[in-house]
Amino acid sequence: MKVWSRIGSWFRAMLWRSRMESDMDAELRFHLEAFAEDLVQNGVSREEALRRARIEFGGIERVKEEGREARGTRIIETLLQDLRYGARVFRKSPGFTAVAVLTLALGIGANTAIFSLVDGILLRPLPFRAPQNLVSITGTFPRGGFVAMREQMQSLDVSAYFEGHEFNLTGRGDPLRLTGALVSAEFFSVLGARPELGRSFYPGDDIAGRDNYVVLSHSLWHERFGGDPSILGRSIELEGVSREVIGVMPAEFVFPSAKTQIWLPLHNDPRDTVAYWAGDFMPVIGRLRPGTTIPQARAEIRMFQSRVPKLFPWPMPADWNADISVVELRTGMVGDMRSRLYLLFGAVGVILLIACVNVANLALSRAATREKEIAVRTAMGAERGRVIRQLLTESVLLALLGALLGIFLATEGLQLLKAVLPADTPRLADAHIDWRVLSFTGGLAVLTGLLFGLAPALYASRAALAQSLNAATRGAGVSVSHRLRSALAIAEVALAVLLVIAAGLLIRSFVALSHVDPGFQAERVLTARVTPNQEFCSDPSRCVSFYRELLGRFQAVPGVHSAAVVNTLPLGGRVAKRSLEIENEAVAPGEAMPLFWMDVVTPDYLRVMKIPVVAGRGFTSADDSENARVALVTAATARRFWPGRSPVGTHVRLSGDTGWRTVVGVVSDVRAYDLEKNAPDWINGTIYFPYASNATLEGGRIPSDMTVVIQSSLEPSQLQNVLRRTIAGLSPEVPASEVKLMRAVVSESVSTPASTTVLFVAFAALALVLGIVGIYGVLSYLVSRRTREIGIRLALGAQRRDVLWLVMKEGAKFSLFGISLGLLSALGVTRLLASELFGVSPFDPVTFLAAAVLMASVTLLACYVPTRRAMRVDPMLALRHP
Amino acid sequence: MDKQLDLLQGTLDMLILKAVSLGPLHGYGILLRIQQISKDRLEIQQGSLYPALYRLEHQGWIASEWGESENKRKAKYYTLTAAGKGRLQAETDNWNSMADVIRGILGTKPEEV
Repeated sequence: MKVWSRIGSWFRAMLWRSRMESDMDAELRFHLEAFAEDLVQNGVSREEALRRARIEFGGIERVKEEGREARGTRIIETLLQDLRYGARVFRKSPGFTAVAVLTLALGIGANTAIFSLVDGILLRPLPFRAPQNLVSITGTFPRGGFVAMREQMQSLDVSAYFEGHEFNLTGRGDPLRLTGALVSAEFFSVLGARPELGRSFYPGDDIAGRDNYVVLSHSLWHERFGGDPSILGRSIELEGVSREVIGVMPAEFVFPSAKTQIWLPLHNDPRDTVAYWAGDFMPVIGRLRPGTTIPQARAEIRMFQSRVPKLFPWPMPADWNADISVVELRTGMVGDMRSRLYLLFGAVGVILLIACVNVANLALSRAATREKEIAVRTAMGAERGRVIRQLLTESVLLALLGALLGIFLATEGLQLLKAVLPADTPRLADAHIDWRVLSFTGGLAVLTGLLFGLAPALYASRAALAQSLNAATRGAGVSVSHRLRSALAIAEVALAVLLVIAAGLLIRSFVALSHVDPGFQAERVLTARVTPNQEFCSDPSRCVSFYRELLGRFQAVPGVHSAAVVNTLPLGGRVAKRSLEIENEAVAPGEAMPLFWMDVVTPDYLRVMKIPVVAGRGFTSADDSENARVALVTAATARRFWPGRSPVGTHVRLSGDTGWRTVVGVVSDVRAYDLEKNAPDWINGTIYFPYASNATLEGGRIPSDMTVVIQSSLEPSQLQNVLRRTIAGLSPEVPASEVKLMRAVVSESVSTPASTTVLFVAFAALALVLGIVGIYGVLSYLVSRRTREIGIRLALGAQRRDVLWLVMKEGAKFSLFGISLGLLSALGVTRLLASELFGVSPFDPVTFLAAAVLMASVTLLACYVPTRRAMRVDPMLALRHP
Repeated sequence: MDKQLDLLQGTLDMLILKAVSLGPLHGYGILLRIQQISKDRLEIQQGSLYPALYRLEHQGWIASEWGESENKRKAKYYTLTAAGKGRLQAETDNWNSMADVIRGILGTKPEEV
């Protein structure tokens, strides 16, 4: 109550400042008049009475001032006064103001842009109902495991989903390849998301036979169906299966990813043992039930994990989901983007520090020139605290101006960031500049202002009164400020060195990555996903002859050298895995069979991609048949499973298959997963099979989502047209998607390290520019202050090269100390980058040396102009006009 | 600002609260009321009255409202708030016990120690 009345009174005071003033006037006037009237009644003349009343009352202005203070409005008065004064000071020194504001705008702008990413991706609550209760279970489960979990979990409502499925949409217009998510029936209710049209799934909708439903994304509904609400209840053809559209999700619903175009029920069928217990291993999300906590859920899921392997129809490896846990969904979604964002945030933090140091330095030089003004103010009775407050108000005002410009730079910068970052960055669309980001920027600006303003303000307010007023020369008081300024310049160089080294390491790493031999030749190769319905391929020979016919038609096109199909294109982001039994290679009980990356290709594939055969033979057209039970392994696989001998002639068997296949050759390794690794760590080897009708997938199916690779001398655009025409000519029902050059596939695979590198290089460049400006500023100030001294030296016979040395010595000092400090701190910091580096140590001496040399030359450059000015000092002029 | 003034200020606040507790008053009226009750034995600096009033109002002990004075002029009247009533009681008790203690100390004779 008391606090509220006080705050209320303060607010009233602020809002109705002018009314309060007039109230106070009226009240005091009433007092004086009432007093005077009493005196008049006692026989005093009116004029005399008023005079006496005023004397008795004392200083009216002082009373008013005390009154304002009592109400807490005085602080506002002084603030306004300081702001007005600050604005006037800035108008009078536009050069300083412009440089300072620009510097701060760069620093604050970079921080605002990166913070909007951090906020959008890491901090902002997920756009779902009560997002704090949403969790992610770290571990994956097949349908059977999930259904058991759904029945048993007490602390969580759970939902499984599978992201990677694709579906052909046929029937109206061109066939389209859609990205879909298979979800359990409670998916939308767990997330608390409502459809914008129709309904989502009801419990039981994911049971086989009752699951012929589909929910559309907003964008698909608009682009394909013209946003027509009558789509509800109608059927669409997905993979040749007709499904009823029951709902449309709103545009802002983008889970599991922004690419998801349709949601289908899981299709849980316990009778299909393989699909039910070994099919898609799915991530699981959950919503905490009221009153439960994440630790409780974590304990429960661990209990569940100890029971669930017994439910499987076969023994599960002991390490399956061994480290299962429950984490906040937001944490689970972001993955390794978190550490990358922190790195970027750290980098822009360093830039802001450099900017602060820069402006502090500028302000210090001004503080020295303002010594007199401040001395006068002190002499007239300003307290030291008051002077500091005024100077800090100025620097905060400066920072706020910088922030204003910075916000503009940040909106532009954020667009650039979004363009540079990989498109599949989670929640990238959530990043935008709004009041949350703006309040961060505002707070940052105030802090920045205080940070860079504090040293100059303390220094300036300390300037000795008498000394400043009396001192005729401009040299007075230079030593303290000079030491401080040198320290700041050294810090600036050190910080810039830090960023340059980080950028240098990333560049070296990226260069190393780009020089990795992927094991195939990407030039002049066009790729396209050509994907008939799975249903179409239920008769394997029909599917095989479809692709055979298609390849035949491509090869007939003039300019096409060779064409082939492959199930998983190298670096294409997909992994095809199968468990494999190797002849005479016993698997210990309780251990899983080795997991292989399985490439299924037509015979010409190795020729199109120029993958060399290192032992035995490659595939021939004779292998393009069901009877050819042959395989190729990669060199690394041969070394691992056939150490010291040749695998050629040995046999392997797909798990669940009856017949053995013969290894006929060894091919060289291909960077199939990414440019750093041939395959993910959990894959043990790589094997190639010919694409023929003998089954290569679980359940006796063969891959129906193949990628065509075409080697030709045609122009890419020309070839694309040929490709689309040929496919449409063969089957109007089969979509061609992801038509792109193999070169583009390769460069997209490194888009993450590329973006990190580009950003760090930009930040380092920014740091260098700010560093140059800073050192230039310090040195030119030094020269202008010592012009007289230099003049005297010259007059006394000093040589020009002595003057050169005089200035360069200072520059060399900043440079030497700054670089050493930067190198030392880099030794401690660069290990944070280790996870982003490939083929280069975080302590790479070449990079450290190069950064030192670069920084030294840059500081030398910054010395050039001031030094030249010093050398041109005319002794006569310098002595006459100090 | 030295200690004496602080003490005076504290007392002034208490006197104002007491004056206002007897009925709504304008600033000048408070001055007169205190002088009248004290039989002119207390001299109050007119200039220090208003800052004290504003401070008490800011703290929520008293409230103000514009009204009409005895000779039909616009004047600002102060009244004691509920919180102010409590405050006055507390200050009065405090003052009385303080006065007792001090009287006791000052009245002490050598043989009593």
